[in-house]
Amino acid sequence: MGRGYVVEAVLEKYFSNLEAGTAAFTTGLLIGQSSPQRDFVVLSTKTPQRGTEGSSGSLEDVDTEWVTEHAKQVSRMLPGGLSVLGVFLIVLPELSKEAMNVLRKLVFAVDKYLSKGRLWDDTYEDATERVALQICSKTRKVVCKTFDVKDPKSSAKPADWKYQNGVSFNWPVVTCSVGLNLHLPVSDRSSEDKHKCIKEGLQRWAKRIIASTCLINGKVMAQEAELVTGSKKSPKLSQQKLQAQVLLPPTECQPELSSSVAAQPSASVLIRGQVSCRAYLHSNKPKAGQAMEAIKRDIMNTVSCRVDMLFDDFFMNQAEERGAVEGQQSLPLRVFAPVPEAGFCVCDYMFPGESVSEAAEHFQEMLDCSITEESIISGLEVCRVEPPTPTPAHDTGVSREEASSHLQMEAPKDVPKKQRSLGYFVGAAVAGGVALLAAVTSLLYLGE
Amino acid sequence: MAPSDSNVIFRVRGSLEFSCWLESSNVLQSQRSISKSFNDLRSKVREESLVFNICNSPVFLWPNQDCQATVGNVSASTPCGDLQKHIEVEDWNGGGKKKRKDKKNVLTVISLTLMTEVTVPAEENLPAPYLSTEKKRHALNMVLPVDCVISTAADESIGIVCERLIGALCCQLSDMEKVVLQHMKGTAMPVPQLFHFMLPEPNGLVSVVYPANISDSQLESYRKELHKKYELAEDRPYFRRANAFQFPDQPYKDGYLRNPHEYLNHPNLEGANLYLVQGVYSYHHYMQDRINDNGWGCAYRSLQTICSWFQQQGFVERAVPTHKEIQQALVDAGDKPAAFVGSCQWIGSIEVQVVLDQLLNVTSKIMFVSQGSELATKGRELANHFETEGTPVMIGGGVLAHTILGVAWSESSGQIRYLILDPHYTGGEDLQTITEKGWCGWKGPDFWDQQAYYNLCLPQRPKMI
Repeated sequence: MGRGYVVEAVLEKYFSNLEAGTAAFTTGLLIGQSSPQRDFVVLSTKTPQRGTEGSSGSLEDVDTEWVTEHAKQVSRMLPGGLSVLGVFLIVLPELSKEAMNVLRKLVFAVDKYLSKGRLWDDTYEDATERVALQICSKTRKVVCKTFDVKDPKSSAKPADWKYQNGVSFNWPVVTCSVGLNLHLPVSDRSSEDKHKCIKEGLQRWAKRIIASTCLINGKVMAQEAELVTGSKKSPKLSQQKLQAQVLLPPTECQPELSSSVAAQPSASVLIRGQVSCRAYLHSNKPKAGQAMEAIKRDIMNTVSCRVDMLFDDFFMNQAEERGAVEGQQSLPLRVFAPVPEAGFCVCDYMFPGESVSEAAEHFQEMLDCSITEESIISGLEVCRVEPPTPTPAHDTGVSREEASSHLQMEAPKDVPKKQRSLGYFVGAAVAGGVALLAAVTSLLYLGE
Repeated sequence: MAPSDSNVIFRVRGSLEFSCWLESSNVLQSQRSISKSFNDLRSKVREESLVFNICNSPVFLWPNQDCQATVGNVSASTPCGDLQKHIEVEDWNGGGKKKRKDKKNVLTVISLTLMTEVTVPAEENLPAPYLSTEKKRHALNMVLPVDCVISTAADESIGIVCERLIGALCCQLSDMEKVVLQHMKGTAMPVPQLFHFMLPEPNGLVSVVYPANISDSQLESYRKELHKKYELAEDRPYFRRANAFQFPDQPYKDGYLRNPHEYLNHPNLEGANLYLVQGVYSYHHYMQDRINDNGWGCAYRSLQTICSWFQQQGFVERAVPTHKEIQQALVDAGDKPAAFVGSCQWIGSIEVQVVLDQLLNVTSKIMFVSQGSELATKGRELANHFETEGTPVMIGGGVLAHTILGVAWSESSGQIRYLILDPHYTGGEDLQTITEKGWCGWKGPDFWDQQAYYNLCLPQRPKMI
């Protein structure tokens, strides 16, 4: 009795193409949605190249840190409902013995890294199984197992891997736009402290979002109510669009801890503006409660990830002496883009001054997805604040070679200000402070 | 505005986040800053994103958007009484209140929660978010409670009710502003406490804000102003914190029953009037508080009932005394030897009088009847007592002590019935048993031992606010 994975048929072709390559092994991520009965895998993306693969042909070259950072970047590009469900590994037959061990290590590392810094915790209803897919590059044989990431001693459990056409067609989508008006006390000792304080403030806000009432299409729905009504027999049903409204309950008054409150000297941060949010549900009798949870998580994720991106960007550019995160700073805008031959969109973030062409490059690099600039939906959020004065490097166009030279870990002076390739982010992790470094280091020491 | 059978009380509760910056040396700036922040909150309450949720129902209303609602048959013109049918009623049992259909003074309260919608209708051209750092200042942040009530006829439209509730919220914010400004200590802001008091007709329910850092004893002048404003005599408290109105859907935390007599049908004596205890008391009886006083503690329990009345009317702040504390008070007053404490000895009306004086500073009158049959002639005196003092009466005689909560007395025929609260009950706080089995009930003159002599202790209400 293992888990069942229903996989978009297009992915079979994707794996075939990878199997035909010359590499000893190829790692990558599996993306989709969990439901109580089965999981749906709708997108897969290989781990981007890191430098020139001096491939020794051994699985020891598998770069766990790189895979986890890729997973983190990818999860920022997924709207609510979608997540990284697991890892795949395509190997030569000679390496197949060690493959499942490597997969296990990657699956645990990815889950641990993704859980860090999230504003919400998994609930008991969330599936804790993640998929490890091993494919033999010669025979194309697929071995599909799952690991329970909440159980460090979990052994591989068998699971079903079945291809099907049009898995994500007719997935219902829930959308809303959320207004932010957060006022958070912060320490101004350093930007790291400020980031930490903001995260704590966001956690308090997140608790209210989690406790909020979510209306679907203007009505209260019971958690167990079925979301999609009407006949499912017609395959040409258009995608059901649902509008969510989020109502926050009042903040709890402290139960008379003290009879008066003194003014405290403190700096503070305001986060204002409106964000576009979206979540997808699967087509296997989704419940209203799942829709509410998915859209709430998307709301929390999009705010949290934009703040992280602002600070990541700052830490990366510390070498250029830009000073502390101060004054008024735009947070990145969100754009959506439909995935070709699929029923859902992915998303990306752009700092003011960036263009959709950079987003298209990002989709290609991170999701291995060819999305045209024209199909990117970019008018949802509009920047009202003047972007900060660009440094000279920003004005020079980014040549294709420079854009692909994301191999360095340090910040070379001629790299444009807001490049957001994978190497850039691993660099930010190193530059950004002890906490992040420790997190990365601890992952490298993940034992069996 | 007085409560009557067709009236409904709407109560909205929630909180608003108050935030302002102060310059510690500049008092005027501080006051202006605080006033501005309260003004911002008054504007916030009129925003379109404000939502009322009828508690325990799927009804959500947008009072500033023409009462748009989540339920089809609710709109601004719907009579507000209709909202009740959407509410899922909780079933309290055990020590809770069971509403009988014929209970007098049934108060219908519809509770609402104040919520904020964070989603906006626009889908495109959203102003993208930004992060703005404010420099270090003296920041004052507090979560202010809000708790407003209005009383309205059940056929009043929801639209009008929502308007009145928003008005009440703004009023309450202004009251809080006044109290805060008046009681600021440097840069420390007092936490506002919200109370509702049920005043005699025609005033009904009235809301007052008190600063949490000032005790009742120091707020006397404020209470005097309130007494003047509502034209109340200054001989009894109405506005002490203990006088706060207890809403029907809020169980008392201490588990004691309140005023079980209100659930009784009163006797139908021709030409008789009712003279009852005025205010709230708790029912104290045998075996409570894990003390087995079965057989000797009845007068102690009656005394506890009387003390609870003084506490809940706001005359005293001390908690209801335990058996030991009662005994100690008698020793301290010189009425009993030290060995009395910890004993299981019976006390009578005189001891009750001594303890009320010793612990609560309350004087009492003693009434003596040489035989029980004489009690039937004491109608006028008891009626007068309940009219002027309104306190529960302890009666001891034969071998028993009881509490008299009122009389039904006919001046013309002299017929009388006594409302008795019996401390000899040994069961749990089950309202149904207590009222149906007569542990709280109306008794006739034959209830008393016709031969025994009786002493009654009639506590006198202190004249204070």
